[in-house]
Amino acid sequence: MTSARAGGPLLELDGISISFGGLRAVDDLSFRVTEGEIKGLIGPNGAGKTTVFNMITGVYRPDEGGIRFDGEEITGQAPHRVARHGILRTFQTIRLFAGMTVLENVLAGQHLRTRQTWWQSLLGTPGQRREERALVERTMETLQHLDLAGVAHEVATSLPYGVQRRVELARTLVAGPKLLILDEPAAGLNDRESAALNDTITSIRDGGVTILLVEHDMNVVMNVTDSIVVINFGKKIAEGGPAEIQRDPAVIEAYLGQDDEEAAA
Amino acid sequence: MVAPRPTALGRARRALGPAFWLLGLLVPVLLGGSWISILAIFAIYAIVALSQDIVLGRAGMYDMGHAVYFGVGAYVTAILNTRLGWPIFATWPIAIVVAALVGVVLSAGIVKLRGDYLLVATIGFNIIFVLALGNNVADVTGGPDGIFGIGVPQLFGTALSSQGALFYLDWLALAAVLLLMRNLERSRIGRVFRYLKEDELAATTLGIDARYYKILAFAIGAGVAGAAGTLFAVQLASVSPGSFVFTESVTLFAIVLVGGQASIPGVLLGTALMFVVPQVFRGLAQYRYFAFGIAMIVVMVLRPQGIWPRGRAR
Repeated sequence: MTSARAGGPLLELDGISISFGGLRAVDDLSFRVTEGEIKGLIGPNGAGKTTVFNMITGVYRPDEGGIRFDGEEITGQAPHRVARHGILRTFQTIRLFAGMTVLENVLAGQHLRTRQTWWQSLLGTPGQRREERALVERTMETLQHLDLAGVAHEVATSLPYGVQRRVELARTLVAGPKLLILDEPAAGLNDRESAALNDTITSIRDGGVTILLVEHDMNVVMNVTDSIVVINFGKKIAEGGPAEIQRDPAVIEAYLGQDDEEAAA
Repeated sequence: MVAPRPTALGRARRALGPAFWLLGLLVPVLLGGSWISILAIFAIYAIVALSQDIVLGRAGMYDMGHAVYFGVGAYVTAILNTRLGWPIFATWPIAIVVAALVGVVLSAGIVKLRGDYLLVATIGFNIIFVLALGNNVADVTGGPDGIFGIGVPQLFGTALSSQGALFYLDWLALAAVLLLMRNLERSRIGRVFRYLKEDELAATTLGIDARYYKILAFAIGAGVAGAAGTLFAVQLASVSPGSFVFTESVTLFAIVLVGGQASIPGVLLGTALMFVVPQVFRGLAQYRYFAFGIAMIVVMVLRPQGIWPRGRAR
């Protein structure tokens, strides 16, 4: 795991905070994601990890602080604008388009690369049809890479859980992300699938995509990440390489403390 | 492997639409007087129901005021033709554009609303629209009686005055709208509408501007309904507020749900159930709403996807 291959910070969170009804879910959090790295964001349940993702992707607007991406201020931009910068995400609970095929689901990721206007769509002009064929072809290539070509015409939501995770991943990859945000990509996967996921994540990074991931599966976190940010109660408690983090007393305390509570409950 | 190879069943399904349409061409030849106008009315309402389906069945917005756009188209044609003497065909594009613009203006403020709230807002639009027509707002809508004496469309110097000629006009317009719906299914916007219906958050995180596309769905749906409005005004040679009341919107809404959301054959079947079948049983015509009411209940309980649900693959 070599970090900092390209060097510059791609994503910078600068003192972001957000409260929900008096509860400070994220409190003055700052960290950077360097271009070309795989960064892990971990923390006990309820630490605010998904909230951080939601602020980066524009689902929530931070009360305080700023978010910069590729040198541009993106704080509080609507989710569809954030996506245009090249920030794509998956969800903790898979969000596929119900009743639509795998191909149709993954085609959604091509939205920003599609040129046809609404009236060309309605008239079915030759250029529009050509573009549709090209979109399908390009999408099928991605499906092939992720071993999904065989189920391209199956209804996505009827497939096994692990396959659905790959469909959601494929949908973000065809969009050509600069930063890929994965919210617990190993949740619900068996050991074999989770090991395959490690390879997939690494190969996506090797393809030039920076990755920020939240994960509970320590096998994934410790094996694929270049560096890790640990948060608890919305605050950063540690940052460093995987080996460093495993030895960090504050991290051990946070996780053990939680175990105690669980044992007591 | 790019598209699934069409099966025999798939091919048969694909041929069904054109076959149905070609068969319809024989109506004026084979069937007599009243049937021609019944099927002309069917074609007009099929267009409106398909336009309702764009907003409701495809983009997933509970629009229960769709009769407004149908009415705007009808009144634009009626006013331009009777007051300013415009030829019918000249009023047609204006009717489409004005209806689409009304769709944009009305929807712009409400597309952010969640399903049930949007539904109530659209009912409000419909009620105000009919009140405005009835109160002769701007002194051009003719009040509760509406507007009479709408002219006959002229095509290359020939008047399309017979019921048969009007039927062919309506049937051609239906073909155009069916082609439009097919194109929609094979296009980016057709997919985007469905993405928004199924999971708006996931769609927006892929770069889809939900607000833009929801307003676009309303604009297209309203424009198509406006086109049908022109045909309706011509068919009846008059327009009045009663044709565009809230219960008409409910009927259109129900046609889409009973027939099958985002299913072209489903919507056509729903329209036929509402506008053609009652005519077969003449004596029962006054029970039209009764029969359809029963159908609404039975279908929703036993077959919530509609009588002819959408096929899985394209």
